[in-house]
Amino acid sequence: MDLVQVNNLCKRYPDSLVGEFVALDNVSFVARAGEVFGLLGPNGAGKTTALRILATILQPTTGSVRIMNFDVASQPDYVRHSIGFVSNNTAIYDRMSAWELVEYFGRLYALTDDQLYPRMERIFRKLQMDDFRECPGVKMSTGMKQKTSIARALIHDPPVLIFDEASLGLDVMVARALQTIVMDLRDEGKCIIYSTHIMREVERLCDRVAIMHKGKVIDSGTLESLAERHDQNDFEELFYQLLIQSDKDRSRESAVMIATEGIPTYCEQGRFI
Amino acid sequence: MNWTHVKLIFHREVRDQLRDRRTMFTICILPLLLYPLMGMVMMQVAQFRREPHVNIGVVGYENWPNDYPLITEHPNDKIKWHRIQSDNAFLRAYVTGQVQGSNSNIESPTEAVQQSGTPAIAEELLRKLNADAVVWVPTRFKDSIAKESLVVLSNQRWERSHMASEFFNERIRDWHANWLRVHLQQTDLGASIVDPPQVRNIDASTSIMKRAIVWSKILPFVMLVWALTGAFYPAIDLCAGEKERGTLETLLCSPARRREIVWGKLLTIMCFSIGTALLNLASMHTTASVVMSRFASLGAVDMVSEMGPLPLQSMGWLILLVIPISAMFSALALAVACLAQSTKEGQYYLMPLLLVGMPLVMLPMIPGVTLSAGTSVVPVTGAILISRALMDGEYSLALLHLPTVAIVTVTCYLLSVRWAVRQFESESVMFSDGERTSMTQWIRNVWRKREDTPLVNESILCALLILVCLFFGRLAFSGMPLSWAGIVQSTIVIQVGMILAPALIMSTILTRSTRKALRLHNPGAMNLIASILLAISLHPTYTAFASLVGAEYKLGEETISLLTQFDAIIGAAPIWSVLLVLALVPAICEELVFRGFVFAGLQRNGGQIRAILLSSLFFGLSHGVLQQTITASTIGLLLGWIAYRSRGVGCTIAFHCVHNSISMLIVAHSSRGSSAPGWLTWAIANNNGQLCYSPSWQSISVGVSIVLMFWFAVRNSDKLVIGSMESPITKQSSLGFTRVPVSSK
Repeated sequence: MDLVQVNNLCKRYPDSLVGEFVALDNVSFVARAGEVFGLLGPNGAGKTTALRILATILQPTTGSVRIMNFDVASQPDYVRHSIGFVSNNTAIYDRMSAWELVEYFGRLYALTDDQLYPRMERIFRKLQMDDFRECPGVKMSTGMKQKTSIARALIHDPPVLIFDEASLGLDVMVARALQTIVMDLRDEGKCIIYSTHIMREVERLCDRVAIMHKGKVIDSGTLESLAERHDQNDFEELFYQLLIQSDKDRSRESAVMIATEGIPTYCEQGRFI
Repeated sequence: MNWTHVKLIFHREVRDQLRDRRTMFTICILPLLLYPLMGMVMMQVAQFRREPHVNIGVVGYENWPNDYPLITEHPNDKIKWHRIQSDNAFLRAYVTGQVQGSNSNIESPTEAVQQSGTPAIAEELLRKLNADAVVWVPTRFKDSIAKESLVVLSNQRWERSHMASEFFNERIRDWHANWLRVHLQQTDLGASIVDPPQVRNIDASTSIMKRAIVWSKILPFVMLVWALTGAFYPAIDLCAGEKERGTLETLLCSPARRREIVWGKLLTIMCFSIGTALLNLASMHTTASVVMSRFASLGAVDMVSEMGPLPLQSMGWLILLVIPISAMFSALALAVACLAQSTKEGQYYLMPLLLVGMPLVMLPMIPGVTLSAGTSVVPVTGAILISRALMDGEYSLALLHLPTVAIVTVTCYLLSVRWAVRQFESESVMFSDGERTSMTQWIRNVWRKREDTPLVNESILCALLILVCLFFGRLAFSGMPLSWAGIVQSTIVIQVGMILAPALIMSTILTRSTRKALRLHNPGAMNLIASILLAISLHPTYTAFASLVGAEYKLGEETISLLTQFDAIIGAAPIWSVLLVLALVPAICEELVFRGFVFAGLQRNGGQIRAILLSSLFFGLSHGVLQQTITASTIGLLLGWIAYRSRGVGCTIAFHCVHNSISMLIVAHSSRGSSAPGWLTWAIANNNGQLCYSPSWQSISVGVSIVLMFWFAVRNSDKLVIGSMESPITKQSSLGFTRVPVSSK
């Protein structure tokens, strides 16, 4: 079942320097229940923008995003109850303990005491957070903070979980623990969208991936299908070659447009500074 | 709106702030410590403070009348006298040694002292004689008091020396009064002739009332400064600080809507703002009570009576003042803090808010500023004045203006909240990268991305530029021109050079179509006729309104005198040139700018209301004088509406021109002493040489105006896609502001 449907998603920002910056250009993909969908790309590819739109933090310029069949633009309240969002931008409060933070967000999700506290106990036990449940955010290590963020995202038991570069800055032990958590969640039937640019994680976790570069999806599919299509079993090498090829294609496309339609038209499309 | 979310966010934010040591110190601990510490220092100083005394050296005291001595040996005398012998070495050196060619008569040094020296020599003498001042008593003083002069050498640069000369003058007056009294007693007149009539003062106010009045002048200011301070730190921390720490994004993807987040944070900021102000009040009150009781025990009863602790009732009124004002400043602080991406940036952004708010807080402290219809509409100022009136016990006055102050305060508060919510909903505000600037690239982009109409910020920049130009322009043309040629010159320079030129230049550089940027649009004959008729029918109402404003905010004597001169010049000038220069030129220039370029930018993205409000505000401010700013802003609202309905400036130019023409015609006729033409006597009458509207026409004109406006609205209701308008008239003087020559009957 497709829990997340992204169709022709575009996002343009007004920019004081270049007039308009195209962050996402006709991005489409779907993510299903019980799978980890990898959203891959180098820095600046548009992954975070896409995931912020999925999390209802940003509005799409054009195109549609539906989560659990709710539209993110017109039904954001329903969408927020259906997702859990963990990002390196979603920090935790310095002056709140892990327990207080998760309890606070549980209250915001309108959980009753009967629902909230047993669920908190279960999550804290599962994520091995009992040792630092009273520790304030300012004293937590990066791994503790990330676990707290995940607990916060899981407290309302959402069917869709979005991880945006969640393993950034984690040591090997914590990163491996995070991967275990993600796999467990997948096994529970959750739909997980996992953004990263660490290829080892992709190979270990993702069932299907979409590779983004400069706001566009340049290829997508299962790891096996991508390897077969590009005749490359080393996924990191495959990723690299796709990016190089994409850059070449864009340069060629630009040259053709300038030759046929002139520089002004090219500039007006926000593709050139 | 889900108030449970608001409550949860409020509770969390309050708890978070209470755990922050820096915030707690600034807004809670500091107020509690500050006043007791200040009180302690004051009491310490008071204990060690002694009545000042000065040393005065007297040379030649043997020449003083023996029966009426000047020098007394009372231990509490604030003057310590030192008799200096005439053969004192320092004195001799000063008088004889430093003055070249003097007679060196130490016994009669007047001339020598007057001629002598540089200040340095005199200072040296005072130091060596260990005196703050030196007095010479002339040789013949005993025999001829009235004719001989006492010479006092002092150094006014020194505080003690200044005091010494003051004390001596005071003492000599007392001595002379006694001397006179003794001598008068020996005559038929008697001593009582020099005594002034006795005055018995009866004060109707109690000591508590007097204390309330003293505190009412100080405390509202102090309270509001603390309310602002209390709002600033939480606003920065809860908005810019959370952005910086990344916790805001966590909240944005939670079920709480943006509006709910704003209300939760706003209530927190309000809570700390009000709390800070009240803590200060309580701490100040407690400290004042303790310090004053101490002073009372030391004998300073008068001071305690006037400055004693604040009456409890007054404290209640102050608390009532703090709540709405804190609410308003909190909302403003939150909205401004949203613009910042970091705590440091937030501090930069909030400082201007403090600077803008301060004049409103300080205005009530100016002597003579009292609660009135005029001051009650000024945000913050009105609230402070009403609080002061309540503290002074003027309840009927406060009650009279309470509705106005309440409406103004609530409106400002709601607008501030709305602004804050819009900031939170704006992606460009919440997720901007803030620090990136490249002027060259920005200019290149502005040129490349030009559109038919200006952007919002370009319109605002244009209006601000014009206001700055007008400010300096009016300084350059300070003083009313004394001839018609001078009026023509200043009007043309101001209207064309300072108002129209910036808009024309900006529309040429920043937009692709000057015609669209200035909203030059054919309004149609019927719309033009309706605008002209509306200008005629609304003029009596405008005149009456302007008279009301003039009565509430009175012009100074000098301004009235200048305007009288202006009217006389207008009366003597050819009428066609008056209409051309003071009616047509301002109508074209101001409408092209305020209902043209400025309006076009402001009404982008469905901002019609913003365009009407801000263009009228800028239009009013361009008139420079408070009274004219109010009337011009008010009529600017109507002009904005007309410009929006008619989608261009044609109708507003017609309205503005006709309005100014009527005003100028009335001024010219009044100053010439001529009556209205016979066919207009049903509408215009002569009242002591001033032309004014008849009551019947004033009443009828209101109805006619309503009908015309209704017709105009209905006729243009199908065109409201792009919206633009023209502006109505205000009477323009040569300095470019609206005047009201006609008094309503």
